[in-house]
Amino acid sequence: MHLRTRVRYLVALGVGAVALAAVAASAALSAPQRSNASVILDGTTDTVTNVDPAGNYDYGSFTVDILIYQHLLDFPAGSKVPSPSLATGCSANAALTAWTCKLKQGVKFSNGDPFTSADVKWSFDRVNKIKDPSGIYGLLANLKNVTTSGAYSVTFHLKSAQSTWPFILTTGAATIVDHKVYPAGKLVANSDVANLVGTGPYKLTKFTPGQQAVFELNPNYAGAKPKNSSVIITYYAKSSTMKLALQQGTIDMAFRDFTPTEYAALGKTSGITVFKGNGVVIRYLVLNVKRTPTNNPAVRQALAYLMPRQDIATRIYHGNVQPLYSMVPAGLPGHTDAFAMQYGTAPNTAKAKAVLTKAGVKMPVPLTVWWTPTHYGDASADEYTEIQRALNASGVFKVTLKSAEWATYSKTLGTQYGAFQLGWFPDYPDAEDYLVPFYDSHSNFTSNGYKSAAMDAILAKEQAAKTTAERLVYVEQAQTLAAKDAPIIPYWQGAMLAVARSDIHGIPGTLDPTYIMRFWELSKS
Amino acid sequence: MGAQGPSLKRYALTRIALVFPMVFILLTLVFLLMRVAPGNPVSAALGGHVPPAVINQISRRLGYDKPVYVQYGDYLWDVARGNFGTTISDRRSVGSIILVNGAATLELTFFAMLVALVVGLLVGLVCGRFRDSPIDAGGRLFGIVVYATPVFFLGLLAQLVFGVWLNWLPTSDQASPITLALMKTHTNILFIDAIIDGNWGALWDVVQHLILPATTLGIVYGGVFIRLIRVNVIRTLKEDYIEAARARGINERSVVYRHAFKNALVPVITVVGLQLALLLGGAILTETEFNWPGIGHELYVYLQNRDYAAVQGIVVVFGLVVVLASIVIDFAAAFIDPRVRY
Repeated sequence: MHLRTRVRYLVALGVGAVALAAVAASAALSAPQRSNASVILDGTTDTVTNVDPAGNYDYGSFTVDILIYQHLLDFPAGSKVPSPSLATGCSANAALTAWTCKLKQGVKFSNGDPFTSADVKWSFDRVNKIKDPSGIYGLLANLKNVTTSGAYSVTFHLKSAQSTWPFILTTGAATIVDHKVYPAGKLVANSDVANLVGTGPYKLTKFTPGQQAVFELNPNYAGAKPKNSSVIITYYAKSSTMKLALQQGTIDMAFRDFTPTEYAALGKTSGITVFKGNGVVIRYLVLNVKRTPTNNPAVRQALAYLMPRQDIATRIYHGNVQPLYSMVPAGLPGHTDAFAMQYGTAPNTAKAKAVLTKAGVKMPVPLTVWWTPTHYGDASADEYTEIQRALNASGVFKVTLKSAEWATYSKTLGTQYGAFQLGWFPDYPDAEDYLVPFYDSHSNFTSNGYKSAAMDAILAKEQAAKTTAERLVYVEQAQTLAAKDAPIIPYWQGAMLAVARSDIHGIPGTLDPTYIMRFWELSKS
Repeated sequence: MGAQGPSLKRYALTRIALVFPMVFILLTLVFLLMRVAPGNPVSAALGGHVPPAVINQISRRLGYDKPVYVQYGDYLWDVARGNFGTTISDRRSVGSIILVNGAATLELTFFAMLVALVVGLLVGLVCGRFRDSPIDAGGRLFGIVVYATPVFFLGLLAQLVFGVWLNWLPTSDQASPITLALMKTHTNILFIDAIIDGNWGALWDVVQHLILPATTLGIVYGGVFIRLIRVNVIRTLKEDYIEAARARGINERSVVYRHAFKNALVPVITVVGLQLALLLGGAILTETEFNWPGIGHELYVYLQNRDYAAVQGIVVVFGLVVVLASIVIDFAAAFIDPRVRY
């Protein structure tokens, strides 16, 4: 190499080294703190469809919305009944067809606009006007119209009596937005952060789809001051990646969702705690009452006798779910262990054989069971292998498993499947939302063909009940009849799980059946 | 040159003209594939939660009940006007996905290609220079192993070793949450945005986050370059002009690095173009594994939601990038070597 060339190399090397050192030094001085003291860094595998509450019907968007917006009624931590939030109270007429709410005064949106009855009427009207494909407007199907009386009183006129209307007022469809900002007939785009204003504890300051949502304190928030200065939610496509980020300390906590194996591994990781609270997510096996062999009540009852609930909870979910003996999860008012009372808590092969023998059904009964691989989590494969193992081992059934991806599966359900897996996450945490969509012949979305005049009558009485005590009587009757007819076999109820590093406090206080992560209650030490 | 000019021009025009039928076939295939299976975005989002009548009602409103040929015609008409549409699940314009998330993919693939070239050139050159030695055997083995390893598996290993066990590097995302929250975006390529703002702390954070995904993706594709460059170096070292250089007394180091190596690089240009398609395919897996918010990551999410508009738009853009890159490479090859005409 020529001397001149060598000198050139040396000079270049020197300049490069100096530049690198400068960058490194500057970086060391100005490196952003990995985790700011009072900023809660959360991770999730949920996705956000639309921040605008008129355009979403998914949990990921709802989690964002509860930080920005409020409802007339909300669920404070630990409460199972709707409590005044933007309203001071709501009451119904004698027929339960009109609900009037008195509104709080002096409340402001994060942009400074005052909150009045005009905002309430506007919010409900635009949900019904936009009729977003997310289907959120369906929650207001019973709403005839909204009228206001002065600036602080509003009345909801219903098409038919509904005792659970206060629960509807806590859902995403009833989120209150600023009538001066939100257009009547279209959604505010996710990118239009400045106009996604609400009265909630935070305001959204940055939203990068599929990547990050940044929340800072709402200076106009009328409630108790949040226990942190801001919340940053990072979105993950894979739970395994989120797990590594949590272990590394990139995020402080993760709420929804890991696989059962990952939860088990995280539970054993030093400095990380898996918090478990009452949950309201359920899984169940739908049986088509119009197709053989499940059109025979004896076959359905035999399946109810043999469902391996405890094995699924222990072996597949490592205790993160609990056996469920009714469509209404334990913890909600009105819950009864109807299936346990009728079929016992453990699988009973003798009784299953007896019911089939009595009905003259030849055993083993061939049965095709459908399940879907990803929509309900990776554990579904193990879950259904366990069900197949248990049913085949009994000698009562000869089960063939078949699966289809969700896009195909969700379109098919009872139109072609005889026995199939489904899960349910409630629109509102009340027994009614676990009964009407499944057993009411007008609302049954599973297409399993179940129609029962007796059940319809019970559910109609439940919806029109004047008092909670009266309503819960019908709730219990519906569960008993559902267990007897067994068009659906519920088998587990999931816990509400959140995982956090040791410096995050307040999580246990927000894990209740309402399934709301109240980030404003969390602090960081 | 006078004789070559019209020929190259004709060749260029032919290649450009071929883009249109290629894109048309791509559009048609993607459109049909998305509609072969039952179900649509509405049933994917609402199935198992609302009655079928509601799903059908919404599907009708969005035009999913129209005959496929009508939907196809509408789609082609929109694309012809440069409108790739809006995603169904989250109402983003496909154009913004391509701009924002495409920038992240560009950042990742650029640095991955850099890694692939550096690894390929260095190892390939050394292997070719020391043919049949233990170094050569080791280099070849390395090339085969990394190329045969699935990119997500290599990514997982890298995350565990360098992220969790050694805790040297972050295992996911484009930057740490707070950096992302505070950074201003100009080009959506964070590496450049940090430089524009003179935000060296953010730049360092971004670089740290780039290392694992870019190296993982780059090393896998470096395997191809290793073998290619090794073979070319060996072949070039046997050429007459190399023997002549040696006979003139030029030292071996200069012969290898100044004469043989330069000529061995020419075929690499073509392969770089071909590798781009594979690199984009690998980027989907890498981005998902590292939660890198690129276009492949988005494709993964939208595919799950059966979001027709998003998937069609993203796949077509992927296709266009590959087609355009192959054209550029063909032009470059034809320009360098006048014998090249396809």
